[in-house]
Amino acid sequence: MPQSMPDAPTLLVAAVKYLEDELLPSLDGYHRFKTRVTVNVLNTIRRELELRGAQAEAERARLVAILGHDGEVGALSVELSERIRSGAIDLNDPVLRAHLRQSVADALAINNPKWLDG
Amino acid sequence: MSNEDISGRLQAVVARHLGPPGTIHDLRQLTGGANRSTWSFDAEAGGARHRLIMQHGGVTADQATELVPQLEPEQDARLMIAAGEIGVPAPKVRAILEPGDGLGHGYVTERVEGETLGPRILRDAKFSRARSEMARQCGEILAAAHRIDLARVPFLRRQDAAAHVEAHRRIADLFGLRLPALDMALKWAAENVPKNARHTVVHGDFRLGNLIVGEDGIRCVLDWELGQSGDPMQDLGWLCIRTWRFGGAAPVGGFGSREDLYAAYERASGFPVDPAHARFWEAFGNLKWVIHCLRLGTRGIAEVGIERCAIGRRIEEPLWDFLNLIEGRD
Repeated sequence: MPQSMPDAPTLLVAAVKYLEDELLPSLDGYHRFKTRVTVNVLNTIRRELELRGAQAEAERARLVAILGHDGEVGALSVELSERIRSGAIDLNDPVLRAHLRQSVADALAINNPKWLDG
Repeated sequence: MSNEDISGRLQAVVARHLGPPGTIHDLRQLTGGANRSTWSFDAEAGGARHRLIMQHGGVTADQATELVPQLEPEQDARLMIAAGEIGVPAPKVRAILEPGDGLGHGYVTERVEGETLGPRILRDAKFSRARSEMARQCGEILAAAHRIDLARVPFLRRQDAAAHVEAHRRIADLFGLRLPALDMALKWAAENVPKNARHTVVHGDFRLGNLIVGEDGIRCVLDWELGQSGDPMQDLGWLCIRTWRFGGAAPVGGFGSREDLYAAYERASGFPVDPAHARFWEAFGNLKWVIHCLRLGTRGIAEVGIERCAIGRRIEEPLWDFLNLIEGRD
């Protein structure tokens, strides 16, 4: 894929800056609420672009270690789900628990980083 | 339907149930639930001015509708009436809409003044005395709600813990959500369903946000449409999930301690609260919220606005809380 400049996260930062610094102060009520949500959504997309690639590679490595074979991250994750459902893996396995915690924490780092502080 | 149309139809309802002339004033739509709309208005009837609410609409219709309890408006009105008769602070029903009223399914209740927004209740200084009383009040109100005679509300759907867990697994499948953490949570819940549950009326959505609060404390419990019958501890657990603490630190709705809630419930009901049993329902409450975020967030852009789409991205919040809860890290 050709790398365009500025990159996508930078464009999102610029869009959010306009919405927060210039547009939001002029709004109230319904549009203020909707615009705040829009800012949050754009920030989520930016964090996903910045973080997800490295997260997915680490997730794949953890899944390979748990399942004992190589594969693509999405397919490995579905396989882990199926092993959990069928009882083929112990729910109390500390390696499993650590993997699940890390995966949920990774998603929160994209979707709502503040939730991890509480 | 224009506001004038609604006003005219409401006047006929008020005149018939509360007395003539039924003249409507200050009709306005409040921000309400996903599937129902809520209107606030005043009405002149029988020589007095009444402060009223109309709620009308149907049930949430999606792939999960048949799998989880949800009441038709007429049923939820009948549940509120049964609750009010034994002293539960439910909205007082003044009229149940009929087909000839031209307003759909719904009802008219008395309007109770007060605050419902969680962040304001938790942070505004004028509610400080209310906050210190609310965990006890919640215990007492739930004990009373759980005493409602099931024979008065035979339409309530009965769902025990195992059935709830299974229904939520099926909904996750219907929506195609495969997350190992969710599968682990569902399996943990299925393996840890409480034994020896009582069978009572369950409110189903008893939490901050559905309570009208004044400076004196809780004045009214709203939103009975998820009423059902089952394990009463379900209501105590749901009240405690972190989502309904609105950023507050205290486990019960951001305002109180579990010890105060449980002690008040025990005193008022005469039944002991096993903390592990209540905590199962808190863990399950997190799962319920995962599935609710999924339902709210994935109805398609045409049907839902951006704030609903954003709710879909909140699925990991209750999953994280669930993992912390079962590992004793909360």
